[in-house]
Amino acid sequence: MRGGRQLTAAAALALAALVGLAGCGKKAAVRPACPPGQDCVLIGNAAELSSLDPHHVTGIWEARVMRDAFIGLTVDDVDGNTQPGIATSWETSADGLVWTFHLRESVWSDGAPVTADDFVFAYRRSLDPKTANETAALIYVLKNAQPVNAGKLPVEALGVKALDPRTLQITLEHPAPYLPELTKHLSMLPVPKHAVEKWGDAWAQPAHYVSNGPFTPAEWRLGDYMKSVKNPRFYGTAGVCPAAVYYYPTNDAISAERRVLRGELDVSTDILSNRIAYLQKKAPGYVRVKTWLGVAYASFNSNVPGLNDPRVRRALSMSIDREFITGKLLRGGQLPAYTFTPPGMANYTTVAPPEWSSWSFERRQAEARRLLAEAGYGPGHPLKVEIKLRNSPDPTLFYPAIQADWKSIGVDARLAQVETQVAYADYRSRNYQVADAAWIADYNDPITFLFLMRSDTGAQNYSDYRNPAYDGLLAKADAEADAKVRATYLAQAEQLMLSDAPVAPIFFYVSKNLVSPSLSGWVDNLSDRHPSSQLCRKKD
Amino acid sequence: MASFLLRRLLTALPTLFLVITAAFFMMRAAPGSPFDSERKLSPEIERAVMAKYGMDRPLGEQYVNYLKGVVHGDLGPSLKYKDKTVIEVLAENFGVSLTLGLSAIIVALIVGGTLGVFAALRQNGPIDYLASTLAILGVCIPTFVTAPLLVLLFASRLELLPNAGWNGGAPENLILPVTVLALPQIAIISRLVRAGMIEVLRSNYVRTARAKGLSEFRIVTRHVLRAAVGPLVAYLGPAAAGLLTGSLVVEKIFNLPGLGKFFVISALQRDYTVVMGMVIFFAALILVLNLLADLLLAALDPRMKLS
Repeated sequence: MRGGRQLTAAAALALAALVGLAGCGKKAAVRPACPPGQDCVLIGNAAELSSLDPHHVTGIWEARVMRDAFIGLTVDDVDGNTQPGIATSWETSADGLVWTFHLRESVWSDGAPVTADDFVFAYRRSLDPKTANETAALIYVLKNAQPVNAGKLPVEALGVKALDPRTLQITLEHPAPYLPELTKHLSMLPVPKHAVEKWGDAWAQPAHYVSNGPFTPAEWRLGDYMKSVKNPRFYGTAGVCPAAVYYYPTNDAISAERRVLRGELDVSTDILSNRIAYLQKKAPGYVRVKTWLGVAYASFNSNVPGLNDPRVRRALSMSIDREFITGKLLRGGQLPAYTFTPPGMANYTTVAPPEWSSWSFERRQAEARRLLAEAGYGPGHPLKVEIKLRNSPDPTLFYPAIQADWKSIGVDARLAQVETQVAYADYRSRNYQVADAAWIADYNDPITFLFLMRSDTGAQNYSDYRNPAYDGLLAKADAEADAKVRATYLAQAEQLMLSDAPVAPIFFYVSKNLVSPSLSGWVDNLSDRHPSSQLCRKKD
Repeated sequence: MASFLLRRLLTALPTLFLVITAAFFMMRAAPGSPFDSERKLSPEIERAVMAKYGMDRPLGEQYVNYLKGVVHGDLGPSLKYKDKTVIEVLAENFGVSLTLGLSAIIVALIVGGTLGVFAALRQNGPIDYLASTLAILGVCIPTFVTAPLLVLLFASRLELLPNAGWNGGAPENLILPVTVLALPQIAIISRLVRAGMIEVLRSNYVRTARAKGLSEFRIVTRHVLRAAVGPLVAYLGPAAAGLLTGSLVVEKIFNLPGLGKFFVISALQRDYTVVMGMVIFFAALILVLNLLADLLLAALDPRMKLS
């Protein structure tokens, strides 16, 4: 059996190789090469980008990349607050309709000057039906934006004008004190007119890319990473720290978490809720949790018998034990929600939560039973509802608790889990009774939440809430140039809506980032916006 | 030989056509659309988006247009990755899956083959039992268990290897995912080789070879293995197609830019064109690899005839 011995020797060799590997000792984290003496920031960015064109993307992870590449009229500071961007100052007409922005002298990454004409071009492109920009509706506040977007008026009819190369005039449909918030939005980011005209949609390929912000996309390996490099022609380039930023589509939050702890990544923009407590103990200084401008809510379909009765909806809402959900299930610092708009919104005032929110839970349950009985439901004739929920981790965690809460007041609730895409399609066609829904602010202003319940909102008004008084208050707010008065109209509207309970707010979102303590320049904030240009490696 | 090839190709085309047709209509029958999300598109925008991708046409017309495109080698634009065509998405990611899959097949063949040979030669000995145990474990423990366990041990605890990432296909980034992919294959291959070997070892021509005084090494490598790998080669065709087209679990856990992850993500996002492109690609790959397996089998085993 000579051959046998030879084979044994080969196997022994292979085994020795494996053991040898184990004996090598600890290895430094693997990171992509960075120019010598400089630093690169590696961000676990949750999902793959669908495009590098600011008018072709909608996701939060995509906006993160775009805001590192482009500077609009205004821009976020490290706190997520609005500060002057390409516009250094602006004036508003007395009626709040005409805004004049004065632009700084600046250039694109290829050296061409950034002019007011670039903005005119960008806004028209953003609203041109041919662009098929999915977030165009957010800037319908611009004069004639909606008919332009519908193809009923030519793009030239849009209320935006270049008075001279460095003066831009924007005319609005109605006063909107939140315009400087909006000008940071994807739909209002500038695009380089000369490059778009030359390359068409291919301008957004890294090979042709031109940007005016701290970084310029340079290399995109689909599914692997997108790399943006420092733009030396950016007006604030002296204050930009990293030489390059890598954005990784880290679909698996746990895997991303391990990579951050090991130093293979610097940031992960998502942590699973149930890992937060563990991580805070295991890796002090990494977990960054902060209230965010988003709300998770249950929507009641008001076309469904039973749920069309405000008493029933109120009963269902008040019997949800929100403190249990946030404190015992999610445990990520989420706040129980009794109003629809999160605390701390700009251009707003405090909204009083419903009276019952201060009651003991037992009293709320008793009141809920009474309301249900009044509406004709009780032990002999229980209310039966189906809760439709998205099959993502958080809803599947807390909806069983809501189901139990409702059972305790005699409501027979059934859970139906569906794919996220299917869920939204069903909500829109009203093919549901109770829906698990959520909303994240597009910009920091209450209207981004409150418009959802306006009767003309259509498909997205999942509960089909129709209240002329509510619509009237929103219309009054729209017509109001004084920000303080506008805020009181909006608050009245929200209070009115909350007492009708077309929705049951459940909790306010938190942003959950895992950030290496070796980085400075990351400031937790309400908008969860963190310019990569300010992320610096601490020297030690 | 030529007529065999021709016949196989002629049956492959209708198969592909059926696969395309079934996939096209199943995909469209799935509820939801690529443009459904938290934010509802205004009717104007939705119309513009639909028109851009020709999705405002009747389904039958879309199907015919799609087939026309496929015949011309045009799989259309991705509905989600807006600056990319389906071909680009496939091309950018297939390299990764190919590297991973091929490495896993090679590792599995070497390790699994060796284990199988030893197990057969020392039937019912300690090596045979060890190989059987390994094989059962390899088949029974799913990759979504082995992958995190290996990561926990080799990356998070011992800090020898990276936790995840592709890093341009650096060897240290490949070791763990390739191991995870190879383990179940090692198990199956070792069993297939063992069974094949045992059968052949008892055959008359091996007895003749022994009688001629050939060394055991020569008998095993020259005579036994060649005949014993038949079932293995037949198995390798589809198995290779599976490995080369990527694994969702491995690619997700190791954050690798391969095809498997894209396939599932695209299906969930209803990226119709990417899913269709991948289905066509997978189907074609399986047809080709099966054909190759048949040809290889005929070349290896003198007893086989192509018919």
